[in-house]
Amino acid sequence: MPSSPAPQVKAIGKDLVRFEDVALRYGAGPVVLGGVTFHLAPGSFHFLGGASGAGKSSLLSMIYLARRPSSGRIELFGRDVASLTRLDAAMMRRKIGVVFQDFRLLDHLTALENVALPLKVSGQRDEKVRRHVAELLAWVGLAEHLESYPPTLSGGQKQRVAIARAVVGRPSLLIADEPTGNVDDRMAVRLLYLFEELNKLGTTIVIATHNESLVARFNHPIVRLADGGVRVERAQTGAQTRPSKGSAA
Amino acid sequence: MLFRRSDVPLKGDASGRYLPWLAAVMVYLASLALVCALTMNRAITHWQEGLSGSLTIQIPHDADAAGAAGAPERLERVVALLMATPGVREAEVLEPAEIERLLRPWLGGAAGLDDLPVPQLVSVSFDPAAAPDVDKLAREVAGVAPGAVIDTHRAWLGKVRDLARSVQWVAVLVVALIGACAIAIVAFATRMGLSVHGNVIQLLHLIGARDSYVAGQFQAHALTFVLRGGIAGLVLAVGTVFLIGQGLRGSDVMLLPELTLQPLDWSALLLLPVFVALVAMLTARVTVMRTLGRMP
Repeated sequence: MPSSPAPQVKAIGKDLVRFEDVALRYGAGPVVLGGVTFHLAPGSFHFLGGASGAGKSSLLSMIYLARRPSSGRIELFGRDVASLTRLDAAMMRRKIGVVFQDFRLLDHLTALENVALPLKVSGQRDEKVRRHVAELLAWVGLAEHLESYPPTLSGGQKQRVAIARAVVGRPSLLIADEPTGNVDDRMAVRLLYLFEELNKLGTTIVIATHNESLVARFNHPIVRLADGGVRVERAQTGAQTRPSKGSAA
Repeated sequence: MLFRRSDVPLKGDASGRYLPWLAAVMVYLASLALVCALTMNRAITHWQEGLSGSLTIQIPHDADAAGAAGAPERLERVVALLMATPGVREAEVLEPAEIERLLRPWLGGAAGLDDLPVPQLVSVSFDPAAAPDVDKLAREVAGVAPGAVIDTHRAWLGKVRDLARSVQWVAVLVVALIGACAIAIVAFATRMGLSVHGNVIQLLHLIGARDSYVAGQFQAHALTFVLRGGIAGLVLAVGTVFLIGQGLRGSDVMLLPELTLQPLDWSALLLLPVFVALVAMLTARVTVMRTLGRMP
């Protein structure tokens, strides 16, 4: 897979995500990420690759504003995250859908309620929401589990609920941390198609995965973490899906 | 229905189990203290109104045989003087039987008055708006009945009023302390909830919840549970007040005020659980907003 000489993806228009020499360390511990610089254009689709423990989840957590960098500068939607107030951060997070590696579903809520949560949080309480959420859950194969509680669902089912929750609000930026880790290949491909459909509608996608066969099957650039830094590998030509708009490919 | 359930599962934690009980106890105690304060207030007013238009004249018993023989005339002269005094509405000479009835609580039923130097008493009522000059009246009464004393009840009323006011202030202090306790308990329960459900709150933040949204979950919980417990406490307090009222009605203890509530008192009492619930709600909100506001 060809690599780009500089660790950055050239943006078309204003970048949606900009990391400039970002470093992260937890407390007084060792540096987890250092000197990370890359830019993601609006509407782009990237995989985030790297060995286990390379810092993929840490990098994603800074994009979805769960952590602030120890040094460097992060811009999201054209704003320096260091200047965000708590209210600004909340408003910005509403534009970001996240699929967490550990799902983070609320066990006391049904699958339907879990998926509807981002809409509830943003003040959408119309009963039409129920139909929309039910349709989305049906799309990910959980039509029979609308009223099921997470502890009664399998790992794969939980993962699909988590994905439905991340995409239900039509986010501008979707971040997924190993979103296909608990589903079979058929469902994994199907979910990737869902992400591509969202991407077609303008959503910027970043998916962390170490499923190389899945990465190879879809034609998108890879932001690869290694040795605490980052390099961007351009997408292979001739892969089965068309290139996503706005990316460096 | 979809959005009715709370995102933060506060119902299942310790605060959900204990908060209604604590609220019930606090509202129960606060209700009793409030009833005490309100009853005392009305009693003071009642005593003042009852005694402001009256005074009592005591004509001492004369041990001398000649003096004793002249007692009826002295009494007549005093009554005549009183009836001629402007503002006096009525001057009633208390019959020996009535005086005996008044003294019975202190002297017992077996005691007769014949052998005791009991003074003659005249109960005088006058128009409070045109009250006579008591000092002048005392001099005139002493002129027709030497040794006669006028008791305006002021000193007694003053002492009783001071005592009642003290009781009233203690009751208000109890209500205030219970309020402070309620705030501390709700603040503690809220902090505990924030700590126990930290992962849920973090998730809510990550999907775009504002601090006020999280606070809304806690304040709704505090309002509901404290109101529920408060209503139970109020019902128990009303039952207790009813029983005490029944007990007082059956007793012949003098001076104790009657334990009946006026419509305004009832309104204050019924609003107490609502007020406590609103204080709990506000406390929960402030606690959450301050705690989350300190986070990065």
